[in-house]
Amino acid sequence: VRERLRVLWAGARVELELLNRRRLVVALTVLEAITFLVLVSLFGLTGSMAPTALVDLDHGPRAQAFVRELEAAHHSFSLRPMGPAAAKRQIASGRLVASITIPKGFSDDVSAGRTVSLPIVVDNLDTDLTDDIREAVPSAITAFGRHSKFPGVRVVAAERDLIPRDTGYVPYLIVSALALDALVVAGVLGALAITSEFEGRTMLQWRLAPVPQGWLLAGKLLAAAALSLVAVAAATLVVLLGYGVSARNMLGVAATLTVCVAIFTCFGAAAGALIRRTLPVAVLFFGLTLPVYIVSGALEPSRFDGEKLWKLGHASPVYSAVALLEGGFHGLRVTPESTAANAVTLGLWALVAAMLAGTLVRRRTVAR
Amino acid sequence: MRGVWTVARLDLAVWRRSPWALAVAVVPPLAMLFLVKILTLSVTQQPVALVVQGHGPASQRMASFIKEDDESYLLTVTSLADSKRLLKQQKVAATIVIPRGFDRAVARGHARLEYTLNNVSIDFSDDIRRSVDRSVAQFDAPHLGEGKANPYRVEINQTELRNTNVPFDVYQTMPVLLLLILNVGVLGSALLGSRDHERRTAGFLRLTPLGGWSFVAGRLLGSVLLTGAVLVPTVGWLAWRGSIHPPPGHWPALVALLAATAVLACGIGVLLGAVFKHAATVALATVIVSSYAFFLGGGFTTIAFLPDWLQLLSRAVPTRYAIDGLRQTLFYPDLRGVAASLAFVGAFAFAGLAGAVTALRVQARAA
Repeated sequence: VRERLRVLWAGARVELELLNRRRLVVALTVLEAITFLVLVSLFGLTGSMAPTALVDLDHGPRAQAFVRELEAAHHSFSLRPMGPAAAKRQIASGRLVASITIPKGFSDDVSAGRTVSLPIVVDNLDTDLTDDIREAVPSAITAFGRHSKFPGVRVVAAERDLIPRDTGYVPYLIVSALALDALVVAGVLGALAITSEFEGRTMLQWRLAPVPQGWLLAGKLLAAAALSLVAVAAATLVVLLGYGVSARNMLGVAATLTVCVAIFTCFGAAAGALIRRTLPVAVLFFGLTLPVYIVSGALEPSRFDGEKLWKLGHASPVYSAVALLEGGFHGLRVTPESTAANAVTLGLWALVAAMLAGTLVRRRTVAR
Repeated sequence: MRGVWTVARLDLAVWRRSPWALAVAVVPPLAMLFLVKILTLSVTQQPVALVVQGHGPASQRMASFIKEDDESYLLTVTSLADSKRLLKQQKVAATIVIPRGFDRAVARGHARLEYTLNNVSIDFSDDIRRSVDRSVAQFDAPHLGEGKANPYRVEINQTELRNTNVPFDVYQTMPVLLLLILNVGVLGSALLGSRDHERRTAGFLRLTPLGGWSFVAGRLLGSVLLTGAVLVPTVGWLAWRGSIHPPPGHWPALVALLAATAVLACGIGVLLGAVFKHAATVALATVIVSSYAFFLGGGFTTIAFLPDWLQLLSRAVPTRYAIDGLRQTLFYPDLRGVAASLAFVGAFAFAGLAGAVTALRVQARAA
């Protein structure tokens, strides 16, 4: 056993030495981890709060009450008060999604029981945003009628939430992005550990070395995983401190990310053994990240996108990882499977990944 | 000029022998296309279960408003017990219940449309909340938006700025195209630089009687031709499918912008290839640079809708001007600002090339 541990340590030292010579690669890998958080945040910022001009020509109490309803209309509008000319100019130049004008006499007419026509100009360039506006304005109007207790309003919506508080979209996305970070960082570094052996033509020496090859590989991957873990930990700190997202179960989060790093380091090694070139394997990991991320329920519980995508999501460990991370950070349940089932699945993925890496590296080494 | 062409031909020959590199360069745009298709599904309809317990005409009317709104709901009409099961299994995101006694409550003027929401994230939860509110509004104000009086005392008078809406997936075709240009251009030219270094052929190139600018121009020409070889058929195919359909007279501006963006991407790639020599470093650097250029340039967002500090930051991102110009040519009736966008893209491309020449000179001196 001592001999094997010595080989393991030797493999790890070799890998650390190689990585020490490639400090720029390491720095870029950490930067890539942070990059994903930034990109995911940018994506999260776009789905709501459509920039909308508010032209209030009335300023009366009813107009102010209506503006409050617009502001409260389920994160639909980012209202920007301005004059009619500015609104016209800005919507024409594509800086606004819509312009809402509260006409003069609004408060008097509403108080007198008359229906007021509300001019709305919508830049219907993108149907996603246009649909949000089309639904958000009636939403504000119903809330206005309900809160004003107008006679004739006979039906109101009564909402009951499964979870006591809402989770913002960016906090939701940023947590699942940590699984993505583990995939990219550990995948690339795991692949690099193997491709560098092929590109440096040192694979033959592996075969000739009078030590168990599996332990040598384990040592190399252990070093790559350790470095990946540092990068993912840095990204986690950004989530905790930079984004102010607190974890309900930090131990669970740490364990999930550690297992994710182990899995993706092994998958990276397997891909490295298959492709044998650093550049394509690195770009490939980046390219595959988005589809894997999306079908794994990173944007919303994947079953909401249909049975086919939900089933497809199970083909990747990111599915279970996202579920465990959302649970660990926000206490959310985003898969029908229980936490224990997801934890066991992730553990099984780790075993499969380790076996795949070992088998492929051994076969490719022999083939060389 | 002959020297420039020789370098370009050499680089094209290298590319022909590296089909794997071209294959991986198109993986991220393909992934983005996949993302767009998935988002097209998830940003529109939400899976919702409807339980109709009331049997009177008001209940049926309420149910019909919900059933007819197939833009918002992917509806399953079911029993209360089944709806609870579907919600638990996450087969639906919400259950809407038209309760027993709904008709009597309507008659009294105090009816409630009850819904239970799996509010794990506000993105789709808010979509459902808005949709339910709209359905409720339809009940008491079925002619909302048609200029008639209603009990809410507010009527929508909506004007649309354009004749047609651009579907989400068509709107997002342009970013996919841009990512294709960025990836093939940046990765292609950067790869050539790292290859020269790793195969030690950079020394031979330095011995050739070519000036720094000529060498860079040759490399740029080769990379642009390669990017064009991928881009032209793609644009042709998208135009044939109708995914790219600029207003009349906008094609020349569109082609100019695509060409300028290709030059910009290749310029950035030449610079990265000259600065970062090892393949792994080049790969990671190109991925990071392409990502920031794409997202901060507004590839997946509209910059004007982002916070002020991000808008300010994006002014230093060259792709922002390319994206602004492309959106203007594709989706707006006039070409306002396109000339300025072209000028900015051109200026950034020139700066990238000047940086590449400087980097190559520094390397030559060091050698």
